[in-house]
Amino acid sequence: MNVQIDVRKVVKSFERGGQTLRVLDALDLQIAEGAFDALMGPSGSGKSTLLNLIAGLDKPTSGEVLVAGASLGALSEAALATWRSRTLGFIFQSYNLIPVLTALENVELPLLLTNLSASERKQRSRTALRIVGLEERMGHLPRMLSGGQEQRVAIARAIVNDPTIIVADEPTGDLDRESADDILTLLQKLNAELGKTILMVTHDPMAAERATTVHRLNKGRLA
Amino acid sequence: MIPVRYNLRSLIVRKATTVATSLGIALVVFVLAASMMLVSGIERTLGATGRADTAIVLRKGSDAELNSIIDVQKVGLVAAAPGVATAGGAALVAGEVVVVATMQKLGADGVTNVLIRGVTERSASLRGALTVVDGRAPAPGADEVMIGRQIRGRFPGVDLGQSFELKKNRPVKVVGVFSDGRSSHESEVWGDLDLVRSSFGRAGMVSSVRARLTSREAFDAFRQSVEGDKNLGFEALRETEFLEKQSEGLRAFVTALGSTIAFFFSVGAMIGAMITMYASIANRQREIGTLRALGFPRWQILASFLIESVSLALLGGFVGAGAATALRLVSFSMMNFSTWSEMVFTFEPTPGILLGAVVFAGVMGLVGGFFPALRAARTSPVVAMKG
Ligand SMILES: Nc1ncnc2c1ncn2[C@@H]1O[C@H](COP(=O)(O)OP(=O)(O)OP(=O)(O)O)[C@@H](O)[C@H]1O
Ligand SMILES: [Mg+2]
Repeated sequence: MNVQIDVRKVVKSFERGGQTLRVLDALDLQIAEGAFDALMGPSGSGKSTLLNLIAGLDKPTSGEVLVAGASLGALSEAALATWRSRTLGFIFQSYNLIPVLTALENVELPLLLTNLSASERKQRSRTALRIVGLEERMGHLPRMLSGGQEQRVAIARAIVNDPTIIVADEPTGDLDRESADDILTLLQKLNAELGKTILMVTHDPMAAERATTVHRLNKGRLA
Repeated sequence: MIPVRYNLRSLIVRKATTVATSLGIALVVFVLAASMMLVSGIERTLGATGRADTAIVLRKGSDAELNSIIDVQKVGLVAAAPGVATAGGAALVAGEVVVVATMQKLGADGVTNVLIRGVTERSASLRGALTVVDGRAPAPGADEVMIGRQIRGRFPGVDLGQSFELKKNRPVKVVGVFSDGRSSHESEVWGDLDLVRSSFGRAGMVSSVRARLTSREAFDAFRQSVEGDKNLGFEALRETEFLEKQSEGLRAFVTALGSTIAFFFSVGAMIGAMITMYASIANRQREIGTLRALGFPRWQILASFLIESVSLALLGGFVGAGAATALRLVSFSMMNFSTWSEMVFTFEPTPGILLGAVVFAGVMGLVGGFFPALRAARTSPVVAMKG
């Protein structure tokens, strides 16, 4: 097995009101290339904190995070941003589409950081929207779409730059059962057909069931 | 790059604050452009028609025709000076008298001073652009005057075919209206030299002598000769130079007033733009965090929000500059300090002024938007993950 995400003895603490809160406590986690893993645990157990470290949005207090061959601690802020744009796809609980941009323009955003021509960008964005089944909605603004559709546009945005890893923080948290199931099916498809490594934080046991491995976090450690 | 339409649409979505903020900037641009247009109008009125090959002789030490007195006997000495052009054997020289008369404003309360100029037959030809546009020139020796087109109808009786009192018990008839390339003469009343002198008790005197020279280069010799005799007490200036001096004070006053008002307004407008941008960025924390998470570097976020605030300011800039061009249709009278009389000015929009005013708006947007944009650029990508 090829380890793609390697978290080694990671400590993450926050200073709050003069007190140090140790959210992650010497945590180790390995995720294989092509895996579809879920991360569960009670609220406040540090799931999002861990996901942020793996996604290079935040830095650990100590320990090492190796993702797709890069040691994130060694990268500068700017290098980290570039790394994220090439390696990762993000799916957020509240979709985080830009409200003033159309579905197609939202999907196109990550490609604006590449050297692709405008027509190539359009082409790829349409392809990504087709994969999530929303090509005919490409001219719509987010507010014209249902929650489930918004999340599918967000997934198109997450895959448009062909990342190796997709991180999702409670991607179905704001959705009804039916839409949630659609999204999960889509994620499974991306994993199985496009070979994306997926790490998904979730509270939903039915969502976790779709994953190949479930990691349980409790009080800063994996159970 | 983050597409500019993201910023433009964000401005459109926040219609009310966008309009309010850009109106503040429009006001500044309007004031600034209006004052610059007025300065250029003043230059036009007080300077544009001057000629470098025409000299004006005043009594030494008097900056203006109004406080210059020259004995009429001495006009011949100016005519005899070297370099003076002639036509049909006669020197192209005109001694003129300039006085002010108080007149009742029409359609407004109060009185104002109007410049009355006593002229000779040569006077009109010494001005390059002077033409009678309505009626005719007054006949020599008659109680007739012609009026500049800017004061037509502004005072009782001051219109073609009507009469008014030049001085108490000295009624004169208006027989003509003239234009002079929008110079200050267009705000004057012109009558026969003797008529004006006798009406105002200036017998035997003139205020200034104008002389057409054979060329521009002839001025230095002319001046040496005229100023050389200290007993005469003459001062000779090129007409261009003289007119520039006349407008100096007014130009400086309007420039100072305009830029002072514009400065204070612009501080207010920039603070307005800053508050708007701070509020707008605070409302978009998650959007900005998402862009950061997707990999947009800080400088691109900074640039994007600078573009947004500059666009906001430019919107105001175009509105302000557009409103200022409408002032072209407005002419208004104002005291000219060098003659203490009322003069009609117009606003002269030039492409340079309008462009400058719009650029100034852009700079306000840049300055006002800088700190908000910096805050946006510092947004942590972690914000995107917060539910
Ligand atoms: N920036 C921060 N500053 C201080 N404390 C923080 C910060 N971020 C997270 N925490 C704290 O760290 C702990 C873990 O937070 P985290 O968001 O990782 O939990 P979670 O497992 O994702 O919970 P949830 O299921 O509610 O999303 C919480 O107690 C939280 O208050
Ligand atoms: Mg969380």
